[in-house]
Amino acid sequence: MEAIILGLITGLAFGWVLQRGRVCFNSAFRDLYLMKDNFLFKAITLAMAIELIVFPLMAQFGWIRMNPKPFNLLGQIIGGLIFGMGMVLAGGCASGTTYRVGEGNTTSWVAALTYALTATAVKHGGLNWFLKWVSPFTVKITPTTSANLYDKKIGPTLATLFHVNHWIIALIFSGLLLWYVFGTKTSKRPDAKMGWKAIGLWLVPIAAFAFWSSYITGRHYGLGITGGWVSITQAYTQGHLINWEGAEVLGIIIAAFISALISKEFKFRVPKRGIVYLQTAIGGAFLGLGASLAFGCNIGNYFTGIPQLGIGSIVAGICFILGNWFMTWIIYGRS
Amino acid sequence: MEKYEVTKTLDVRGEVCPVPDVEAKRALKKMKPGEILEVLIDYPLSKERIPANSEKAGHKVLSVEEVGPSEWRILIEVRGKN
Repeated sequence: MEAIILGLITGLAFGWVLQRGRVCFNSAFRDLYLMKDNFLFKAITLAMAIELIVFPLMAQFGWIRMNPKPFNLLGQIIGGLIFGMGMVLAGGCASGTTYRVGEGNTTSWVAALTYALTATAVKHGGLNWFLKWVSPFTVKITPTTSANLYDKKIGPTLATLFHVNHWIIALIFSGLLLWYVFGTKTSKRPDAKMGWKAIGLWLVPIAAFAFWSSYITGRHYGLGITGGWVSITQAYTQGHLINWEGAEVLGIIIAAFISALISKEFKFRVPKRGIVYLQTAIGGAFLGLGASLAFGCNIGNYFTGIPQLGIGSIVAGICFILGNWFMTWIIYGRS
Repeated sequence: MEKYEVTKTLDVRGEVCPVPDVEAKRALKKMKPGEILEVLIDYPLSKERIPANSEKAGHKVLSVEEVGPSEWRILIEVRGKN
């Protein structure tokens, strides 16, 4: 019960910022490529840069232990590319699709449904052979470097790979990101409800609270979306109690709905061409398959995995961008 | 009320991200300087992004007006290509 309440609180705060800040990685990656616009990308990068310091700090204080997902080169490359393409087709990544469910985008409802069903099928159902197929490549290690910051068995991090203290790499990585964020020009978006710095800064305490609250209730990870949709699907079809992440996803949808209502941005949006539903349905299925193979969606990998220096999340994160750019080029780029 | 003479109207309400942005960009590219494009949208992110990107491309955003529940009308005047 504690897990559900804490997950719900996390989701409510997260959903509010997602809706106000329009935090969609599909937009962030695609705007970079298509519009040469880095507004959202900077917001995301700023949040990651600070999390890179905040997570080990929390581990140092003993509030959490870092627990990056396993490394699986095949799963993270294939899953990452599929997920990256899926977000373009679905018209939103995991977080974008989820918050837009609350905004009344009917195309996102369809995408969320196929996303949830496919992720559940890959993790626990008829599509599980996908996971079994990549599972021989899964790498988990017992850390010997910075072992005081980590759980006992974790996916390898940049620190464990190079046998360098976690803090040193985290500080360098964070410094590089901050140098990009503040040292390069940022696209202007004067009508935006939240500036990119505000979005980035708001995301940090939410990600920190998420990691702590989910850790103390037994789920050793931070913000995520895919597992939440799986939990909701299982609760609905099999009567399981939802977990922390399922409650978090429900919180996101509720907060996005309320936030959209208050700012008069809620509307049942229906496309003129029905075929768009087919496109977002396929996109959602890609999201579900891709996230399951890559051990996480964009939120799990960018906001929780990469800030722990997880190698798997870094590989998946790069492939998300490449898949996104490839599909953007196919659909929008060639004219 | 109608101060401007609209040359072309683009109704992209209900479309998924980023169709409104891409269609607006394409339409502006095809139009001549001085012509006015009217974009009807219901997607909040595009309401913020289309004006910013049109200005960046050198065009002039005449107005962004709320015309209904989560519906907006953006008027853009095409300026010389750069």
